[in-house]
Amino acid sequence: MILRRIVIALAAVVTAAATLHAADDLPSILISRQLSESEHIAVGDVVRLSASADGTSPRPFRVSGVYEPTPDPARLGAVIREVQLHLPDLLTLTREPGIPAGSEYVQTINVALVDPADAAAFSREVQARMPGVSAQPATGAAESTGPFLVLRRFHLAIAIVTIVASTVFLLALTIMLVDERRAAVGVLRLIGLPIRRIIVQLFIEGALIATIGSLFGLVLSLVSEGLINRFFQWRYDTALVFVHVTPEVAAICVAIAVPLGVSATVVASWALLRRNGLRLARR
Amino acid sequence: MNAMGFAWRSLVRQPARASLGVLGVAAVGALLFDMLLLSQGLVISMRDLFERTGFDLRVTATDSLPGQGPLIPNAVADAQAIAKLPTVRSAIALRFANASILNGGQRGFYTSFQGVAGTGEHPWTILRGRDMGTGAELVINENISTRLRLEPGARVVLRAFCTSEEQALPPVPFTVAGIAQFPFDTPNGATLATSLEMLANACGGNESDDADVIMVASQESAGPAAAVADVATLLPDLRVLSNAEAVNRFERGGFTYFRQISTVLTTVTLSFAVLLITVLLTVSINQRLGEIAALRALGFSRWRVVADVLCESVLIVGGGGLLSLPLGGLLAAGLDNILKRIPGIPAQVHFFVFEPGALRVHLLLLAATAVIAALYPIRIVARLPIAATLRDEVVG
Repeated sequence: MILRRIVIALAAVVTAAATLHAADDLPSILISRQLSESEHIAVGDVVRLSASADGTSPRPFRVSGVYEPTPDPARLGAVIREVQLHLPDLLTLTREPGIPAGSEYVQTINVALVDPADAAAFSREVQARMPGVSAQPATGAAESTGPFLVLRRFHLAIAIVTIVASTVFLLALTIMLVDERRAAVGVLRLIGLPIRRIIVQLFIEGALIATIGSLFGLVLSLVSEGLINRFFQWRYDTALVFVHVTPEVAAICVAIAVPLGVSATVVASWALLRRNGLRLARR
Repeated sequence: MNAMGFAWRSLVRQPARASLGVLGVAAVGALLFDMLLLSQGLVISMRDLFERTGFDLRVTATDSLPGQGPLIPNAVADAQAIAKLPTVRSAIALRFANASILNGGQRGFYTSFQGVAGTGEHPWTILRGRDMGTGAELVINENISTRLRLEPGARVVLRAFCTSEEQALPPVPFTVAGIAQFPFDTPNGATLATSLEMLANACGGNESDDADVIMVASQESAGPAAAVADVATLLPDLRVLSNAEAVNRFERGGFTYFRQISTVLTTVTLSFAVLLITVLLTVSINQRLGEIAALRALGFSRWRVVADVLCESVLIVGGGGLLSLPLGGLLAAGLDNILKRIPGIPAQVHFFVFEPGALRVHLLLLAATAVIAALYPIRIVARLPIAATLRDEVVG
């Protein structure tokens, strides 16, 4: 297995920020957008960072860029004030007096593989060779574990309740709509159209209405997707995407809505068509 | 016959559509009720949990959560000084660390490790055995007891992790005094506790008087506000939070997502209910225009037919609303079980918590739904031209 690239990302907390004159020879740092906005720090500014809460032994750094933090649902609602340093700079900043350089530790090593499909095998190999080190594939971890999986189940449960409620209402509506056409169906029966022929007609009508309704629903969800995302992104000051209508989600919705609509129409019509034609046509 | 009786008969005449309408409102109402329970549930549950621990105040070194910030130096002495304040009943110092129980296989069994010192009751409930005494004794939670088959009297050897995992501290032997329930334990969490002194020993003997938090119980006669003021005056370098302030901070910070989603879903659910009941009533009214015109011709006043429509709406929404309460209760239990699987959520915390205020809002929203949904059908019957409608019926 070939190790192509190793990225080590660490963060420190700003405890003192003072704008000084720009100096190109200072070590560079990146700051989060939120920190830049709250402390009015711009690219090119020089800030002093300290690893201790009382701001002792500060070191100057030059802000070389402002970045948008990777959206993290676990930090929703938190104002992310972060600084990204080069690892040697951070180790120099945080090293305790008397601790020799090179004896520090890091919490995480992110590894990019040549072939991401090797992630599971790579993690097994690392854990076998280095007892005490936990190596986990990152791909799919967000969807398959922890809060994400739970939230997915929660949203699915709410979706099921909504579908049940919609189905009940749909049945009530179709019963009324079919009932409204009782006389017309009665006349069709009296002029000789067989029940099967009328059911086919109602089936096609139901399919058309359900398809148009589903498409309208998809358009509505696409519009609301943008609105909901904008609202929550504004509310939490995050780039996190809260609602994402994927082709798979759209296909599932249509696959549920169209058969439900058609079934509701046919079920409601069936009760009506079992009656005698004369009774249906009678006013 | 009054308007309500007349509306009842109109619905009973068409039982299928009336039943479906009521069932639809029940399903939507159950979701609405649950969203109202969710909107404040977590905060109410956390407040209850804080209060059940028996302590009103939390004293920490910084604004960080206990266990996530620096230790309070000389916390044992501070706790003793706090306990002597006239507004304070008792105070204990708590320190949090981690430990690996070495009886649990080659790699050990990883647990949370608490150390406590002070005059107050310990913040856990003994289930079996007894509380820890002096010496190398500890209490463990039910999860550790079950997984490692440890009961009171058992001997364990554990290695503590106190500041960072680069330390390799020597293993320390303990005796299990009892099995306890810890208020903030997660469903699968493993927690054990001993005295602060023994935890400090397990941590290498350094910082033996330091703690993450001092928990304070105020005198009932004084109340937490007076105790907060006294402790803040006594120890101005430390942060003092009452339960109410801690809950407020929690409310502003984590889990606001659930409040937001409950607001969004409440709005969507109500809009959905209003739209569908309006359609149901409108179609129903349109099918009975001739009948309504005939009633008007027989002497029913405009207000009377308007009242009939409103009563129909009230009956559908009211019936569905009543059904929605038990349905909502069942649904809330199911959804709560799903959400409680979020890692790190204490077992005793619930997302859906009943409170009378939620029921009042639920009833108000349903009443508003019944009225708003009836507005359009009411407009139709109120403006119905009697003669023209009857003529159309006859000609049609």
